[in-house]
Amino acid sequence: MTATLKPRIATLLLLGSLFALPALAQSPSPLSIPASVEKELSTRASDVTEVTLGKNMLAFAAKFMHDKDEDEDGVRHLIENLDGIYVREYEFDKENQYSPEEVEQLRKSFETPEWTPIIRERSRKSGETTDVLMKTVNGESRGMFILSAEPRELTIVLILGPIHPDELGKLHGLAGLDGLADLDTGSRKGAEDKEKDKIKPKAKPDGAQ
Amino acid sequence: MRRFLWIPLSFAALLVPAVVLAGSGGSFNGVVDSIESRYHLRATHIPFLGLACFIARKSTHESVANLHIAEFENVNAEIDGAELSLMVAEKLGPGWERIVRETSRRGGDQTLIYMRPEGARMGLFVVSKEHNELNVVQVSVDPDRLDDDISQYRHHPENPGTSE
Repeated sequence: MTATLKPRIATLLLLGSLFALPALAQSPSPLSIPASVEKELSTRASDVTEVTLGKNMLAFAAKFMHDKDEDEDGVRHLIENLDGIYVREYEFDKENQYSPEEVEQLRKSFETPEWTPIIRERSRKSGETTDVLMKTVNGESRGMFILSAEPRELTIVLILGPIHPDELGKLHGLAGLDGLADLDTGSRKGAEDKEKDKIKPKAKPDGAQ
Repeated sequence: MRRFLWIPLSFAALLVPAVVLAGSGGSFNGVVDSIESRYHLRATHIPFLGLACFIARKSTHESVANLHIAEFENVNAEIDGAELSLMVAEKLGPGWERIVRETSRRGGDQTLIYMRPEGARMGLFVVSKEHNELNVVQVSVDPDRLDDDISQYRHHPENPGTSE
């Protein structure tokens, strides 16, 4: 009897530990950067910053913002409806530490029917590129992806939930999103040295995701 | 038999807060112990830390509580950011969410910030390595109360020189 029970107990323990392992691991980030690219960028970057704010943390942070303050109240309303804010920032000591192909791979990971490019900015002079894509579900914005590539810096921002480009400035100062205010205003004004190619959001049939 | 039911109930009532309190300190000690054993370090003794924590708690009207600090000096070992992050996450256990991870190759600096909702309070756990120093800090903050305390010193442009 004991001889037959021992393997069963061992099997149960093994199965139990297998089920427990994923629970111990961090929940996967919705920021689906190709693992090979992420590893390469992390290796070459001198500074890497990762910010992960899931829905729970955003809802919790929203509780501590004041209704009395008009600005804070606006941010509170905005973030309590969001599903997550994910930021990756790679800073490099020298230029050309990442290839245009890697940027293209990052961009391609969001080239799905539910994501529509709304801003595409290229600067020949500075070599900077900015892409802003918006996720639309049933004609409503459900997220935003920002990819900003500078010669020594690569920034990836994913905001999930109902958000509009005009509201980006409100997130200024939150979770390392300082640059968003510039993007918000900068995307509207024309820069003489930049070759801009802005694409307006495509009209999507209802139900498209 | 029923009249003896209060004994196990009272025991359970006493045990629950004890386990919760032990758990919060346990995760801190778990992280510190892991760092000590993995990198062969010893946390520096901070004189009167208990007193400082008590004063911090009282002077902030309990808006800052459950303060734990461990300081490591002369950290010359190369610390792998991914390994440190995994080790801290394992020791903290579920409930804590990593919100910030910063890695700098210049000097091997590392910063990990975890957050955990604690009812109306917010638990913060920070592991920061800068140059040859590594600090581990756990604190529980009541943002509302802390904001009230800070707002006393806030400057009002319409009434220069006054405070709330």
